[in-house]
Amino acid sequence: MTSEAEQLVRLRKWLREELVGHDLPKPEQSNLLLAVGELCANSIQHAYDGRGGQPIHVSVRSSADSLVIEVEDFGKPFDAEQYEGPELDAAPDSGYGLFLVKTIADSLSFDVARERGTKWTIVKYRPGRGPADGKGSGTPRG
Amino acid sequence: MHIEVTQAGEIAVVGPQGDLDMAVADEVKRVLAGLIDKGQSRVVMDLSQVGYIDSSGMGVLVASMKQARAAGGDVRLCTLQEDVRAIFEMTRLIKVMSVHPTRQEALASWR
Repeated sequence: MTSEAEQLVRLRKWLREELVGHDLPKPEQSNLLLAVGELCANSIQHAYDGRGGQPIHVSVRSSADSLVIEVEDFGKPFDAEQYEGPELDAAPDSGYGLFLVKTIADSLSFDVARERGTKWTIVKYRPGRGPADGKGSGTPRG
Repeated sequence: MHIEVTQAGEIAVVGPQGDLDMAVADEVKRVLAGLIDKGQSRVVMDLSQVGYIDSSGMGVLVASMKQARAAGGDVRLCTLQEDVRAIFEMTRLIKVMSVHPTRQEALASWR
């Protein structure tokens, strides 16, 4: 996709179809749609400062244990030191995006050691297949 | 996005139709801010036709709720679909915002 907010609906349509074949419960499919949408929205808003026409790559890989979704942009890299999670008790009117991604993902990592941009990796384990269930394949390194 | 605005006595009922995401958040914000600025600070937001909401959409609802409360009113939500409700629970906004199962109950909550 490219970095226009109007592209997000197309992304969700594509991702919804991708996720159908992966045997995930429906609520988890919905959560992943949201998590990936939030990462793409972050790329639009922060990595590209709202500039349209810039590339955002989204891929889905699946194994017996998990689903791995990568979101990659080529703009300003994510700066973890600048990030502050939302104070939920104060009900802020912004800052929920990455919090939601972290809540939804079983594992979230990001890679900024590259020429440009950020590659995010979301791992979602299949029910009963995560590390806590003794069957997972470990935490990935982004 | 199609946004239906109707009047139930002194209460404005706003019904967006479609996904409430980053692409339409500003449009929804303008509609809500316009109502509140005109003195219509009692608002019921009927989300029955919203199947998806993201952090931008939620941000607009929270900001509008604060604006309405500052003006002596509120933005109250009703008829949340399951996926949308789950996101309000994740962010704990379900405890901050006034959420009702039906439009009738949201309207009745003002009485």
